[in-house]
Amino acid sequence: MDVTVKILRYNPEVSEDASWESYQVSAEPTDRVLDALHKVKWDLDGSLTFRRSCAHGVCGSDAMRINGKNRLACKTLIKDVNPSQPISVEPIKGLPVLKDLVVDMEPFFDAYRSVMPFLVTSGNEPTRERLQSQTDRERFDDTTKCILCAACTTSCPVYWTDGQYFGPQAIVGAHRFIFDSRDEGTDQRLEILNDKEGVWRCRTTFNCTEACPRGIEVTKAIQEVKRALIFRR
Amino acid sequence: MVQTHKYDVVIVGAGGAGMRAALEAGQRTRTAVLTKLYPTRSHTGAAQGGMCAALANVEEDNWEWHTFDTVKGGDYLVDQDAAEVMAKEAIDAVLDLEKMGLPFNRTEEGRIDQRRFGGHTRNHGEAAVRRSCFAADRTGHMILQTLYQQCIKHNVEFYNEFYVLDLLTKETPGGTKATGVVAYELATGEIHVFKAKAIIFATGGFGKVFRTTSNAHTLTGDGMGIVWRKGLPLEDMEFFQFHPTGLAGLGVLLSEAARGEGGILRNSENERFMERYAPTIKDLAPRDMVARAMANEVREGRGAGPDKAYVYLDLTHLPKEQIDAKLPDITEFARTYLGVEPYTEMIPVFPTAHYAMGGIPTNIKGEALRDNETVVPGLYAAGEVACVSVHGANRLGTNSLLDINVFGRRAGIYAAEYAATAEFEELPEAPEQLVVDQIEMLRDAGGSERVAAIRAELQATMDINAQVYRDEGSLKQALSDIEGLQARYVNISVQDKGKRFNTDLLEAIELGFLLDLAEVLVVSALARNESRGGHYREDYPHRDDVNFMRHTMAYREKTEEGAGHRIRLDYKPVVQTRYEPMERKY
Amino acid sequence: MSLTSIPKPRSTYKAGRSNNFEMNSWLFMRGSGLLLVVLVIGHLFVNLWQGDGIQQIDFAFVAGKWASPFWQIWDLAMLWLAMLHGMNGLRTIINDYASRGGTKFTLKTLLYFATFVTVVLGTLVIFTFDPCIDPASTLEVCTNR
Repeated sequence: MDVTVKILRYNPEVSEDASWESYQVSAEPTDRVLDALHKVKWDLDGSLTFRRSCAHGVCGSDAMRINGKNRLACKTLIKDVNPSQPISVEPIKGLPVLKDLVVDMEPFFDAYRSVMPFLVTSGNEPTRERLQSQTDRERFDDTTKCILCAACTTSCPVYWTDGQYFGPQAIVGAHRFIFDSRDEGTDQRLEILNDKEGVWRCRTTFNCTEACPRGIEVTKAIQEVKRALIFRR
Repeated sequence: MVQTHKYDVVIVGAGGAGMRAALEAGQRTRTAVLTKLYPTRSHTGAAQGGMCAALANVEEDNWEWHTFDTVKGGDYLVDQDAAEVMAKEAIDAVLDLEKMGLPFNRTEEGRIDQRRFGGHTRNHGEAAVRRSCFAADRTGHMILQTLYQQCIKHNVEFYNEFYVLDLLTKETPGGTKATGVVAYELATGEIHVFKAKAIIFATGGFGKVFRTTSNAHTLTGDGMGIVWRKGLPLEDMEFFQFHPTGLAGLGVLLSEAARGEGGILRNSENERFMERYAPTIKDLAPRDMVARAMANEVREGRGAGPDKAYVYLDLTHLPKEQIDAKLPDITEFARTYLGVEPYTEMIPVFPTAHYAMGGIPTNIKGEALRDNETVVPGLYAAGEVACVSVHGANRLGTNSLLDINVFGRRAGIYAAEYAATAEFEELPEAPEQLVVDQIEMLRDAGGSERVAAIRAELQATMDINAQVYRDEGSLKQALSDIEGLQARYVNISVQDKGKRFNTDLLEAIELGFLLDLAEVLVVSALARNESRGGHYREDYPHRDDVNFMRHTMAYREKTEEGAGHRIRLDYKPVVQTRYEPMERKY
Repeated sequence: MSLTSIPKPRSTYKAGRSNNFEMNSWLFMRGSGLLLVVLVIGHLFVNLWQGDGIQQIDFAFVAGKWASPFWQIWDLAMLWLAMLHGMNGLRTIINDYASRGGTKFTLKTLLYFATFVTVVLGTLVIFTFDPCIDPASTLEVCTNR
């Protein structure tokens, strides 16, 4: 079948303004949107620029706004985005656009790095592994799935207006350790998230949960961090 | 504008091996990591099943059995000293990761859980053993995330989206020394020269020479290609692993863990055909055997589907809870990409190009070799880009995650130790010239050939002629196709002439590496007149230990006329310690 | 057209001081919200439903209610909670959507001022309410004096 892909193009080397360009490509209904973008790049216009790597939804390179929703282009099939109409593709919002669908990820990673996203322990390390019950392991399973694609953070209306907010992803990143029974850095991490720009800015619009390509219950994780803050001792 | 940087150790690539090395080197000396992707995009994250180590948490096991399985799985082309190092250090490698915070699945006692995996057996082949430590079916994802988190903790310096294009070397009385690298900054198009005492290549594989592959678009063998063009050898390039269970038509990987958890392969007659090929461990035979068995079923007309082109992976007899807990991602892949519900339907699968056993030859310290013995001072390699060789002719499942952790760590330590004693070497005048010329030539080229078309043809010929089954005719066909494509490559043009994020240019450069490496693969395969592990020659269906119990060493040499290049093949003995080659039966 | 309708964020994260103010304000919104549901529904029930319903409301009705300290406290609680709840809500909206520091400051000053005036005036009215402010009042409480 023939599909039209409408892409928001932007290249500051050519023009300061972005513009929508439409491309006709042939695609199977079960093709990924990424395949259609590749067809545009490989057959029609080599200057189309986007990030991609694994092409099956585990590396997190190709988060973009497809028909107005944040998704991974490699995990979205043509048949699921109403191919009878032009499929619109834009960069994710809230991060500076560098070229076409490529955005500057640094502010996003800065927020992630600022929540101490690593295991904090004290004392001597055990010779063997630290023990952890299956229940304790299950407690934070959901948030270990995060691939740092930024789909959640860039779907958050609070983040759109104010990048000082950590954004959902950073809270997910902190959640993964706050609820890890082996971790001893919870107090510090909660203190960071208790910031004026921390978890309390979440307005529970659930955009992040809807956007997450890994099915993480992002809003729930944020609420759990809030609860941990309220009941901490 | 060229910027120059100076670091004791420069690591190229930020996947598992690169970041594991960075954690060691970064805490010992001034280290930079150059990566063409953001670290968390690396393909380590796509690994699924687990990482084997003889922890003996759930049943009796020891590292010696693990060594034996690795050697046997690699069809005795494994360097046994290296395999022993890997199996021994596996235990600490897993425990180190756990201490870094990796969320392994747990046993009821709270220890790291383990499961069965292809080719891993108890007491030298008696029965399958539970050796693979795992985190659901996203172990690689967890390893990549955990290593990145540790890099954040230890303030490792990353240069993200810096594409390394050249290795700088210097002739010294002690032989050729590595002195730095030249990188192209994707965001700006600027050239950066990194002066370094030690350089570790950890750039991964080159699966994109094939069309059907589990590899990422970015796995184009850049590290191997750079070293190759410097005249340094590549080892065992004919051995490429085809993973049995790729989603049919797509190549997306479905972990062997599916079979470790009890999944069964069936043909169109619903027969569990692996019983015929490996009566003892059946579906958990090593990957090369399973892949060949599957291809054979299809060839003999027992394939399923409209074109009889694939077989089935059957999980329908497994409890839903087990599938959800242990195999959540791969079942989701089946749902997303094929619309198949694994609870109730069988999943169409077919072998997919997966892993390069060969690569830059190194010793067990990760030091790269310039011939069969001599190291290149300052040059290291680890992970899929390297050939230690612990995988021999066929890698066992889970041993790649092990390889990156064990040898990534070793390369990081030894590179830092070397850097502590070595001096910076003077760089030549304009060290970036080669890269600048290459980029300008590509950007300004006005040829008529398109990158995508050449790449597609390369992948097509490799899939047809150099896949699971090969023979002299098919390989010669592949070679002549590649030579034709190389001639056309000279006439390519890129449409994007800009400097900023020029991925069009990037793909053109990557294609150059792919063409080079495909040629090495095919030439090495043509010369190996035997069948061993992942390399199966229909015209020579048996293993020939008399003539080919040796590693292939390929070199790129200038032809006498001086204009072109040709490939010279040499051989290197296999290190044998305690295991005599036997017939491989499972 | 412009690049995107939502431009890049005006600033990125900077570690700031942390105190429990935002948490307490978040908790206050939940607590006051719950209380207000009870207070407002109770208020509506007594004023608009009980007895003659809407017909009964006049000066005398209000005077009668505020003769009782119970209703004084009830209405005072309603006034304070509703005003602070609303103010805090608007404060977060200003935080979320006012982009320039000056705008933010101006809006918040206006907000706090308006809240202050309303709360003070309302409180005064509740406690200084004089049912007999009209000398010609025929209310029982006034004629008996």
